[in-house]
Amino acid sequence: MNAGQIISGTAHVGLLAAAIFGGAFKAEPLPFEVTEVTAISSEEFALLVAPDQEPDALANIDTPEPQEAGQTPDVPVSVEETPPETAQPEVNEATQPAPLPEVEELGPPPQAEVSDEAPVLQPPEEDFAVLLPETSPQPAPQAAPRVAPQPIAQPEPDVRIDDVDQKASEPDEQAEQSEPETEETAQEEASDRIVTEAEKLEAAAPERSVRPKTRPTRAAEAPETQTAQESQTDDDSVQAALQQALGANDGPADSKPSGPPLTAGEKDGLRVAVQRCWNVGSLSSDALATTVIVSVSMAEDGKPVTSTIKLLDSSGGSGSSVKQAFDAARRAIIRCGSKGFDLPIEKYAAWREIEMTFNPERMRIK
Amino acid sequence: MRKWIQCLTAFAILFAAPTLTMAQEREGPLRIEITEGVIEPLPYAIPDMVAETAQSEDLARQISRVIAADLSGTGLFREIPRNAHIARVTNFSSPVQFADWKAINAQALITGGVSVDGSGRLVVRFRLHDVFAGEDIGDGLQLVGTTDGWRRIAHKVADQVYSRLTGEDPYFDSRVVFVAETGPKNARQKQIGIMDYDGENVVYLTGSNSIVLAPRFSPSGNNLLYTSFESGFPKIYLLNIGNLSQQELRTPQGEMSFSPRFGPDGQTVVYSLTSGGNTDLYALNIANGQGQRLTAAPSIETAPSFSPDGSRIVFESDRSGSPQLYIMSSKGGDAQRISFGQGRYGTPVWSPRGDLIAFTKQSKGRFHIGVMRTDGSEERLLTASFLDEGPTWSPNGRVIMFTRETQGAGGRAALHSVDITGRNLRQVPTNTGASDPSWSPLLQ
Amino acid sequence: MKVLLRATFVIAGIALSACTSAERFNNDGTGGAGTGTASGIAGGAQDPTSPLFFQQSIGDRVLFEVDQSTLTPDSQFVLNGQADWLNSNPEYTAILEGHADEQGTREYNLALGARRANAVLGHLVSKGVSADRMRVISYGKERPLEICSDETCYSKNRRAVTVLSAAPSS
Repeated sequence: MNAGQIISGTAHVGLLAAAIFGGAFKAEPLPFEVTEVTAISSEEFALLVAPDQEPDALANIDTPEPQEAGQTPDVPVSVEETPPETAQPEVNEATQPAPLPEVEELGPPPQAEVSDEAPVLQPPEEDFAVLLPETSPQPAPQAAPRVAPQPIAQPEPDVRIDDVDQKASEPDEQAEQSEPETEETAQEEASDRIVTEAEKLEAAAPERSVRPKTRPTRAAEAPETQTAQESQTDDDSVQAALQQALGANDGPADSKPSGPPLTAGEKDGLRVAVQRCWNVGSLSSDALATTVIVSVSMAEDGKPVTSTIKLLDSSGGSGSSVKQAFDAARRAIIRCGSKGFDLPIEKYAAWREIEMTFNPERMRIK
Repeated sequence: MRKWIQCLTAFAILFAAPTLTMAQEREGPLRIEITEGVIEPLPYAIPDMVAETAQSEDLARQISRVIAADLSGTGLFREIPRNAHIARVTNFSSPVQFADWKAINAQALITGGVSVDGSGRLVVRFRLHDVFAGEDIGDGLQLVGTTDGWRRIAHKVADQVYSRLTGEDPYFDSRVVFVAETGPKNARQKQIGIMDYDGENVVYLTGSNSIVLAPRFSPSGNNLLYTSFESGFPKIYLLNIGNLSQQELRTPQGEMSFSPRFGPDGQTVVYSLTSGGNTDLYALNIANGQGQRLTAAPSIETAPSFSPDGSRIVFESDRSGSPQLYIMSSKGGDAQRISFGQGRYGTPVWSPRGDLIAFTKQSKGRFHIGVMRTDGSEERLLTASFLDEGPTWSPNGRVIMFTRETQGAGGRAALHSVDITGRNLRQVPTNTGASDPSWSPLLQ
Repeated sequence: MKVLLRATFVIAGIALSACTSAERFNNDGTGGAGTGTASGIAGGAQDPTSPLFFQQSIGDRVLFEVDQSTLTPDSQFVLNGQADWLNSNPEYTAILEGHADEQGTREYNLALGARRANAVLGHLVSKGVSADRMRVISYGKERPLEICSDETCYSKNRRAVTVLSAAPSS
């Protein structure tokens, strides 16, 4: 062995050592939750919660004699379950409607997607809110029938209300491929918080400081999730490297090109797209205290595969409140995903499986 | 040389492996967190129920309308009008064309069938569908009753739909007792009336010869307590709603007794008795006639309300100099003040869920209906007007009904209701002026 | 004959004219027992023993400040008059009505009215009127006198009224 080899060998060993044991000097990786989850299908879920909901079948009660004035017409109510008779269409051919069209194929073909949603009008204070003193009197919050994260101005009266803003597409006669005409749609007018009658009148003569609007901490959120993921992958990569070096090989060879992970902007776009359809208005206060984690598989066109929407986990609620929270989450994914989410196809492997956590804590009393 | 190549290869593997693994790691599920949503009425569609026998067409339509009025009246749901429907439901058993309902943006769909059977009984079946998920929500149900009681059946169906979609307990199949008012402000005629919670089916339970105040339901919904001047002096009476029999409650000696409330056991009554000009709270067991004095302060103590478990009473007292809210054990004893804002607080009512107390607040010349937690925190005002008072809770603790009186010589009292979020403030339709509402428990 | 007729008229005229003069009676109601009974229509407003006199000349009501049941000096003056009258006319009993204005909740106002009526009772008793001749009742805000919704009306509604009734024995 000559000197060069010794030096080289030492350097290599040193490098190996640093790789293996260097972790001791790294900062603690950001903690991430490891939750025990078992994926269950919707049917199993229904079975789980069913005992809470099924009323017992009551015996038929005889109709009582006519009551005197003031008595409640004592209605004997017999409640029985009938199995849903949406059976196979062998019976009643006469009334049988045309075969059900495939649900997923509704809507315009994917390649004819119209222009992206018009940018939502943002009030200028959106970016500067952190700097304003808390007691500055803000303009009286307008009451609108709908409450959304950003206040949305009232659209033109004759524009159809839809979940996204779309410009009306003009039929272009010279285009080779005619785009399907889409009418102009606008998002429904919304305020960003509920305004009670008492608050309306107080705003007219502000005696106390108005509660500052809550706003999504988008800036803070994105880098957090990013670093969490990166450190996670670093840790795993060291472990995997060890495994590889020791000969264990269990990574499935996937043919899809993987590419870089989604950028924060792309993740945010997905989040904003889903939250527009996440309607918690009719949820009970119990369901509003329940966080659910929902998993969904996505098709390549950006649409969720409805049958794969599953509840992975929940916290803060039980029984029916979990069901309501899950139903609202599922509706949000299906409705806003019906035209496909705006996700880059070249990163498909990164978003083929998605886990969404729906946490209504900030929506509880707006 | 070979050793060099070996070194290099080892190195390459070492560095390549992590890259490969990292790529594989990125194929794990994408995780995002949704923390903001929207709050808007959920759009639903309820095509007229299918009339399955000849005489049931009118009933089918009326039942559908009452269900829609119940749901839309909560402010949580918005009906897609029938003239916008694409599909028609002509057979309750046929599969639903979800595509047609998705196209009009209905998220929930209610289908049903109504028939009158051979013995004249009304049979109503319904199903609730989640349109976008393409499946049923819960099981189909069948309800049987009398044709006269069709409103109650409609309310029960609406209750099912409401609880399945919101997760809340139901409340539509319930009644409200109140004071019907006619005449000018300085010569008001008052009598006790009872009606369905939506204002229908009003029946009067007393005459209007004397002043009556603040009727209250018993926990079973079969009896009422109220104050009447019919003897010449305010006294409390027990009234059976079924046979209208009336009985004066025997109280200790005093100038007047008023403000009676039932405890959750249906036997204990707490009320105010004025003696020597001073008003205190007393309890009375109407089964065995035993009584107990609960407060002995030189201040006014009135407007009590039991907690749902019967262990505590919240009441109004001006022992601090102005009317405020206090909580004490239902056996009497020390009372803790729970109202601390600017203004005067009164008529506290404990929510049937036990979590909130509704009250009337006067401040800066206005009246408000508000709610607060049972320790007095998180006070929220829901309304503001010239004169709002006397809240009562729906059986599920989600909606509050109260009296609103308008200003001036032509002022008139009317009942209003509001959701506890403060949304959906609306008037309860009554033919006459109305005040002092009390909401029954859910009818069985 | 004519002279006799004229004389009758004159005498009748003189006799009747005596009815019209009211200055003979003191307005503070301290008329001694029985001094004016012969000269007025019994029971009329000029009759110091009539309830009408009690209402109009002495004053059957006292007013209160917002939320208060304490007696102002003016009120006490009126009540002193009432006490004197009641002491002089023992055949009457009284119901003391307490009232409140509409700026309060229903049941609290019932109790407040009772407090006001009781304040009146206490004062009358302290002036020698026997307590068993009087009963206290409250109408809360149920029977306002004035129905406009501002202080000019509210102040008139915050009142305690002494309503007389003849005791059965007289």
